[in-house]
Amino acid sequence: MSAVIFVLDVDEFRPLVMAARDMPSVEVSGPSQGYFRISSDQELEFHRKTLGFKPALWYGALTGGLLGKITEFSRDTLRIEAT
Amino acid sequence: MNTINNIPNPPLAGVHHTARPTWKLRETIEFYRDKLGLPLVHAISARGWPEGHPDFLHFFFDSGQGSTIAFFYYIGTERPDYLEPRPSHFYSATHTAWRVDSAQALDVWRQRLEALGVPMKPQIRHEVIESLYLMDPNGYMLEISYQMRPFTEVDARDALLTLEAGMALEDQMKASGTMGAFESIDSVWRAKGSVIEKEFLNIEGVTP
Repeated sequence: MSAVIFVLDVDEFRPLVMAARDMPSVEVSGPSQGYFRISSDQELEFHRKTLGFKPALWYGALTGGLLGKITEFSRDTLRIEAT
Repeated sequence: MNTINNIPNPPLAGVHHTARPTWKLRETIEFYRDKLGLPLVHAISARGWPEGHPDFLHFFFDSGQGSTIAFFYYIGTERPDYLEPRPSHFYSATHTAWRVDSAQALDVWRQRLEALGVPMKPQIRHEVIESLYLMDPNGYMLEISYQMRPFTEVDARDALLTLEAGMALEDQMKASGTMGAFESIDSVWRAKGSVIEKEFLNIEGVTP
């Protein structure tokens, strides 16, 4: 199963979608029913400072839901592996 | 037969008051009326009733849009240990958050509170609100927030999906008598993700 995150279609989470669109081998679809779907066959990786997220938003960045396994969620790095 | 759907359910018109006990009468009035500048708009002084209830002062400060924050001062009593302020998230979770209408107003509030030496925690930018946190003389947490965008239907539906995942995990936890999967937020995110994935499969034909 791919690594997938769902991102709510609202302004504050938009940097996740913009960043994912620039990533090779990452697919972005939607929005559908209020969510973007960001997926990768291997791994998704995001960095807080690149996104410009303050900590409160960063640590809630997965509130839209996910598929896969969080292998790192540190102050600056989020990594989700396909399972 | 009455069901939850056919019992009348008129809308509420906002906050009238929230109330807390205080054992610091002068400090509380000087803080809310003078430092925060909230007009003292009402007070009742009464013999305690029913029997055994201490005599009390109950007073209200205007916090805008018809809302007030109120206090009880119970005469002749001392604050019990279990109401002593505690350095705990569980304790500060009970708080009142007031609204301001602009980021500029929030800045001005921060400058005012700093100038008056009111204890504050670092300003936090959340998802949809930016907040100042301050402590009153009783140790109660207060928040002043600016909401950066209105809540929409998208937010409401998302909230329901999040909490349905959470409630299902809570049900499993209670039924099994163990923490089970509900030991971290990851389980909520995965359960919710599975639900949304099904919608994407139906609507967009996403290949998992």
